[in-house]
Amino acid sequence: MAAVDEFVSIYREALPVLLIALAGGLFSGLVLEAIIERVATFPGLLVAVPVFLATRGNVYGALGGRISSGLHQGLIEPRFQRDDRLINAIVASFVNAVSMSVVIATLSWAALGLLGWESASLLEFVAILLIAGVLTSIVLIFGLLLVIFAGYKRGYDPDNLVGPIVTTLGDIFGMLFLLLATISVEVLI
Amino acid sequence: MVIGSNESLGSWQASRIVRNMIPLLIVLSMIVLVAGVTLENAQELLAEYGILAVMVPTMIASGGNLGAILSARLSTRFHLGLTELRIRDRTLWANVAAIFALGLTVFTTLALGAYAIAALAGDPAATLFELLTISLVSGIAIISIAVVLSFAATWASYRLGIDPDNVTIPIVTNVVDVFGMIIFIGVASAVLGF
Repeated sequence: MAAVDEFVSIYREALPVLLIALAGGLFSGLVLEAIIERVATFPGLLVAVPVFLATRGNVYGALGGRISSGLHQGLIEPRFQRDDRLINAIVASFVNAVSMSVVIATLSWAALGLLGWESASLLEFVAILLIAGVLTSIVLIFGLLLVIFAGYKRGYDPDNLVGPIVTTLGDIFGMLFLLLATISVEVLI
Repeated sequence: MVIGSNESLGSWQASRIVRNMIPLLIVLSMIVLVAGVTLENAQELLAEYGILAVMVPTMIASGGNLGAILSARLSTRFHLGLTELRIRDRTLWANVAAIFALGLTVFTTLALGAYAIAALAGDPAATLFELLTISLVSGIAIISIAVVLSFAATWASYRLGIDPDNVTIPIVTNVVDVFGMIIFIGVASAVLGF
């Protein structure tokens, strides 16, 4: 009954993490509700929200997947250390995330222009997404590695952890920092 | 510490990771823009039914999570050399069944959680039955799309000789994001008669 065992083990291992992801998702949903109320100040901002969150997921999902495979293959160890592979992977993810913030701002602004919908200025989009992007990246890099390493040492398969951790941390902190960024940009500009 | 110049790092070299990923990230952003435009367009629906806005991140993220779990498992299978996908492989079907069971659990809990939040806020604009219908109908559609895409993307990236770690999960989660947003907004509008 290997198939039944496989079913039960995946369900058991993934469910707690998915339920935590659900709680995190509901929390970020409440923040999204608050962001929707602020859209009047920065019209068109909602266009950027899914792309911003998805890109966090892409960049840090790839980092997590890489770390997970690295652990499985014995290429890296499950702790914070000055390991060349680990450092290269982290630096690459940060460069990717921050440069993509500028790309997302430009794409969203351009899409609104093409659709002829009301839009905040390009400068406002770039400022909001850069602030939110840098802050979210810092939290995600440390949060992700911390949970993967701790989970791996306790015998959890990192494959089951990466996706949910990235989306949960990414949604909660991405949404919070996006809200924070709109408030700061409103004060600054 | 060596960043970007040591050939022995191979596929772990920072500059190589960035070079490989940026084009994909840009293409994916353009795809997910569709979800953003759908969200922006649904602003009135979300203002009328605030509880839907609360459900949006989980609705979108859960499909991606389930796809990511399945893709990661398939990727690891390939890394470990189990490169054949057979229709009669019971372990594969157990994986798919587990993903559906997990999804149904999560989407049912989502509807209950959203209803509880709305009730606590004193604003039950939608009934529990409506929220369950919205969550489960969109949920089943989203899980199905996530499963099909996980298999297709892992298999294709393996065939094309691209490391699935960098490719599979992003493609699956992003395309699921777009379908998830469109399906959720569509099903919610239909059920609530908006």
